[in-house]
Amino acid sequence: MSLPLHLRSYKEKSKDELARDYFNIPNQDAFAPVAAGEKPVLQKVRNRLDAGGLQGMDINAVLSVEGKEEVYAGRLSLLPPFLCFNSVDRRSCRFTLPLFTIRRVERLNSRAGVFALSLATWHGMRIILQLTSLLPTAEHFSILLRDALKAQLAPMKQLKPFLPSFYSEFLIAGPSTQHNVDKHDSLLLGSEIGEKLQQHLDGEGDLRGPGSEGKGEYQRGLGETFGFPGDARKMRERSKMKLWREYFIVHGRNLTLIRYPPFQRLLQVGLPSRLRGELWEVMSGSVYLRFAYPDTYKQLLSANEGRSSQSTDEIEKDLNRSLPEYKAYQSDIGLAKLRRVLVAYSFRNPELGYCQALNIVVAGLLIYMSEEQAFWLLEVLCDRILPGYYSPSMEGTLLDQRVFESLVQRCLPMIKDHFTSVDVQLSVASLPWFLSLYINSMPLIFAFRIVDCVLAMGVKVLFQIGLAVLKINGEALLEVTDDGMFINLMRTYFSTIGDSAHPNHPDPRVRAITNFQELLVVAFREFNVITDETIQGERKRLRAIISDEIEKFSKRAAVRNLKSAGRFDKETVGVIYDHYFTAVCSDDANAGGLSGDYKHGDQFDQPRILVDVNGRVETRIDLRTFRSFLAGIATWAREETVTSNAFIQRTDKRVAEHELIDRLFYSWDSQGLGTLALQDVVVGLDRVMKAGLMESIEWFFNLHDKNKDGYLTKDEVIQLSESLLFIFRNEPGDIYLAAVSKFILNAYEFGDATAPPVSGETEVLSPAIDGQEGSASHVRERSDSVARPHNLPYLNLATFRMVVLADELLENFFDTDLSASFQLDRGADEDYHQAQAKTEGLLGGLMNLVVTDTNKNRFNRLTDTFGAALGKHVEWRKPSLTRSRQTEAAPTEIGQRESLLTPAQQQQIEQRQRSTSSVSQTSVTSAKSTLTTDGKSLAEVESRYREESEMVRQAQEAVMHRPKFAVDAIGDSDDEEEEEGREGDGDGDDAVMDEVEAFLKAHGADDEGLKGEQKKVANDLLTAEPIR
Amino acid sequence: MASSDDSSLKAVQVKLVLLGEAAVGKSSLVLRFVQNDFNENTSPTIGAAFLTQKCRLENRVVKFEIWDTAGQERVRLDRYPDPFHSLAPMYYRNAQAAVVVYDITKASSLEKAKAWVKELQRQASPNIVIALVGNKLDLVNDDAASSAVPAPPVDAADDEDEVKSTDGEDDEDTADEAGSSKPRPAAAASTSDSLRQVYTAEAEAYAKESNLLFYEASAKTGQNVGDLFTEIAKTIPIDTIAPKPVPAGRRSGAANAAQTDGNVNLGEGSQAKKGGCC
Ligand SMILES: Nc1nc2c(ncn2[C@@H]2O[C@H](COP(=O)(O)OP(=O)(O)OP(=O)(O)O)[C@@H](O)[C@H]2O)c(=O)[nH]1
Ligand SMILES: [Mg+2]
Repeated sequence: MSLPLHLRSYKEKSKDELARDYFNIPNQDAFAPVAAGEKPVLQKVRNRLDAGGLQGMDINAVLSVEGKEEVYAGRLSLLPPFLCFNSVDRRSCRFTLPLFTIRRVERLNSRAGVFALSLATWHGMRIILQLTSLLPTAEHFSILLRDALKAQLAPMKQLKPFLPSFYSEFLIAGPSTQHNVDKHDSLLLGSEIGEKLQQHLDGEGDLRGPGSEGKGEYQRGLGETFGFPGDARKMRERSKMKLWREYFIVHGRNLTLIRYPPFQRLLQVGLPSRLRGELWEVMSGSVYLRFAYPDTYKQLLSANEGRSSQSTDEIEKDLNRSLPEYKAYQSDIGLAKLRRVLVAYSFRNPELGYCQALNIVVAGLLIYMSEEQAFWLLEVLCDRILPGYYSPSMEGTLLDQRVFESLVQRCLPMIKDHFTSVDVQLSVASLPWFLSLYINSMPLIFAFRIVDCVLAMGVKVLFQIGLAVLKINGEALLEVTDDGMFINLMRTYFSTIGDSAHPNHPDPRVRAITNFQELLVVAFREFNVITDETIQGERKRLRAIISDEIEKFSKRAAVRNLKSAGRFDKETVGVIYDHYFTAVCSDDANAGGLSGDYKHGDQFDQPRILVDVNGRVETRIDLRTFRSFLAGIATWAREETVTSNAFIQRTDKRVAEHELIDRLFYSWDSQGLGTLALQDVVVGLDRVMKAGLMESIEWFFNLHDKNKDGYLTKDEVIQLSESLLFIFRNEPGDIYLAAVSKFILNAYEFGDATAPPVSGETEVLSPAIDGQEGSASHVRERSDSVARPHNLPYLNLATFRMVVLADELLENFFDTDLSASFQLDRGADEDYHQAQAKTEGLLGGLMNLVVTDTNKNRFNRLTDTFGAALGKHVEWRKPSLTRSRQTEAAPTEIGQRESLLTPAQQQQIEQRQRSTSSVSQTSVTSAKSTLTTDGKSLAEVESRYREESEMVRQAQEAVMHRPKFAVDAIGDSDDEEEEEGREGDGDGDDAVMDEVEAFLKAHGADDEGLKGEQKKVANDLLTAEPIR
Repeated sequence: MASSDDSSLKAVQVKLVLLGEAAVGKSSLVLRFVQNDFNENTSPTIGAAFLTQKCRLENRVVKFEIWDTAGQERVRLDRYPDPFHSLAPMYYRNAQAAVVVYDITKASSLEKAKAWVKELQRQASPNIVIALVGNKLDLVNDDAASSAVPAPPVDAADDEDEVKSTDGEDDEDTADEAGSSKPRPAAAASTSDSLRQVYTAEAEAYAKESNLLFYEASAKTGQNVGDLFTEIAKTIPIDTIAPKPVPAGRRSGAANAAQTDGNVNLGEGSQAKKGGCC
């Protein structure tokens, strides 16, 4: 059983992370050098975002590429080890350039006095970047760029052997072109690759239709052997391939691909089968992982060979249920590949393991990609593109289904209202759309075109398509009266998606428009209002609700699945669960590590999730977390300091540390694993909380009888006394101290009389389970010098009981106080996430900024200082036992009242107190102003950027011609055959581009970039000399 | 189907849900029943699928509305309590019949089936008719197959009170654990020549004590599939079939004009023609 801990540790992404996501830069520190001797990490490790300490930076820039007319203004981001660009409109032009593909950077000598850099890629593509910010900023940027480049020498060397894995390299090296860029390649790369590729070429090999085995060393999918889905001629593969080849020559390819407007057009008519796998990994950024971890996939497979797990069993069941209509998956070759990728990933990410629908997705990927390519793309899908979609609690799926519902409500309210009125849930149909990227919902050739767009433009495409499907079927959907009709309607629509959308139209060109084309047009034209920001915003809004649902469910499941609830009722077990869960999520526990036979699955920052040998995932807590758990329950297991100063009275709680707590931990660890499951703490608490006098005496005795021989040694008597003193440490007065010293005296007296006779031999210590305890008693051995050896059996339970009962205070302690010191009365923090979200909403963003933990501490210190100055600062320790609490009514009253509140409420009160205090306001503002010492230059940059982008935007608007979309423009011809025949002379290409144009128009007008003076400057720079 | 004879027998709608471990053959059983077809290579069900089929008895026509649910726990949509709907998971909310399927060649699938039965008895409507079905009968030898006798029909209406005695200490949430429990040493030993891992007698005994209909069947050959659904149709007490619950506002608007016929429903015509059993 595992708990959904990651929901609590979830943090909204930072600006930097969002930028990296946008540019498809992997989450991992993919390019950090692995220290010598360090074992390669096969399981995923999250959040290693620092790029080797290198600093990133953003700057305004104007981009031009040699051989291209268009010039774009935009934002250049150095995100080591990547350099990224995005045009102002965030649509027309962008690139993500790994720095190791850059061979040369020069500063250009410009007449216009602009600061311009010339970048040359390994294959000689020249990119000119005018840094249009202020000169010092530009200079700073180029220094950072230089540093970042320097760090990339090692990967630069890996580039050359990596390149042949790309089909595009094979394609470019082909002879069927007039542009002779091969010379460039050979020059810059060394002639090897070029020659090698030349040898493989036979005529038009690269442009040959799919189905026949291609040559070259590039990574390839099953389609090369078993044929790609669809009719290559109908899909005009040759024309598309030719267009892509031309595109690559000017705009770079694979790792250096720059997206110019034609890219979008080529994308939306469907990628050519042969290039699809490569473009998928390039567009999604998974290629960077394949580059950075060349051995991981192989190692994962070999390290886990022959292992089986729950996931491998589940995978096995689904292998021949994965696109069975595709030939390769009726053969062992295809099934073996599918198995390997899914199994490898299940071991890489054991917490996720395997989720149905992944078989469909991976089966789809493997048609176009090699195993390794598919493996890395799968990782990027699960991590970034579809986060949380396939995890055990599937929170991402649930969340996005809710987001989808809310978008339907917003965009298509009639449909949503109707569905609500007939009680039909959208997700009965839409769940598989999202989970398997439409791959199982519609014929493969169409589904893969949607995958093309998802990988290029992100998850918003799934929503856009979904909305378009609903919109197109709007009238029929309003007739739906139950879930079944809805599902059937959708099934019928998807099965006819290749049919004409207007079968009876007189114009053959209109007749040629398919349902699928119509779908894309509606999706990208009418629902282009759905942006990444829309999705992020909706997710943010709805996440708390989903998280609470999942947590409540997990709680019910966890409580119900316990084999024994002891003498607790279900509700109480629920409270124990809350304490357990809170402890696992607490900061105190976060630094803890685990050891033992288990493997760590430390993704999602969860060192407390354990994966056992069978691949089963379980949440267990270690000693450190246990201390924090117990501190929440046992009054004596925490230090509570009540401070009052002139302003407020507050209680600081700290986790106490003592051997007694460790002893409890080990005695509850029934399986000797060094960790406790929820079941263990329930049984443990049952033992201590439900105990009567005799039982309490007994467990307390046993807790200190290390070798379980029924006797305490003298050492152990001392340790037991120390435990008592620890529990009593905050009780006022000295009656407890007196009781314990009396206990020791009595114990020794009775012990001497009743101890078994000393035999000559020294007792062999039973092997210590925990080294800590062993060493502690060693220390004592040296310091203590009582005549009788102190590690011999000395005091038995009966005697101990007698000694305890001889003292009224101790008797009371064991009779009631001890069991009562464990308190489960705290209110459950259900709806935790919504409460969190609400405080954010109520108090507004500013308050949230202010109330960080550091600020809180600072504030507390500040008020303490004031309090001390005013002579009002009082501090005392809260006693642990109920008995003394009653006598000390005054100081505890407030504390007790406080404990009635939930933590969220307490926080609110504190916040309210803080906001009304003028002192806090000033302290906060002063803190803020010191934080932004270097804020001035940044602000300047920012405002300049704003001005500029506004200017550029206005200029663009003025020149942009937005033709109204005409459906008639779609579809080029009603005669494919004729087309293919003429293809050689270029008409076929035009035909493709016709289709392309239609989409582009649908998507918004082509952005031709900057005009006039700026463009002239850019052109001049192409011929400018580098500065010496 | 919509012949003049039928019009006198008004079809009663019965919501039926299929539950069981992944790949035991739930979707295949439905396919056999609805389209009298079998497909070696299916796809795992994501979330749930929905189909309808009619079953004609002497005195009435039962129209099954079948929810075929996902086997893997995590891809079931209805795991979480839905704050906007009732607490009972939606697929078997208001279900009048449930078919809990296991694979007779996989012992662990019976454990999962038992967990489902418990869950249903705890959460589903009290009158629900539950059938336990051991699928893939074609995979075991002939003699084993021939010993599969349908359990005597149980009158669910009479016995319903005894059914709901369990407190439901563990149920659907044990899914993750179910696979590990109790290997079945006896099964393998005595039928070493077959793939059978679950004895007919054992499952039948369990079904009897839990008041379930019981069949061993094969979606592949169609054996017992028709009988199974007919038996369910017969067992459902006619008077407990309440009209399908109508949410507020449901019948408003012109959208429901077609519905008055009662026989017109999407996809039903073609499906019914090929119907396996009725
Ligand atoms: N030999 C045999 N195979 C069967 C039979 N029924 C189903 N199968 C096979 O078992 C596999 C799983 O069948 P499905 O019907 O998809 O199983 P399911 O229970 O719907 O699975 P999920 O949707 O994942 O829960 C498929 O490969 C079927 O061909 C049967 O009666 N005999
Ligand atoms: Mg199924």
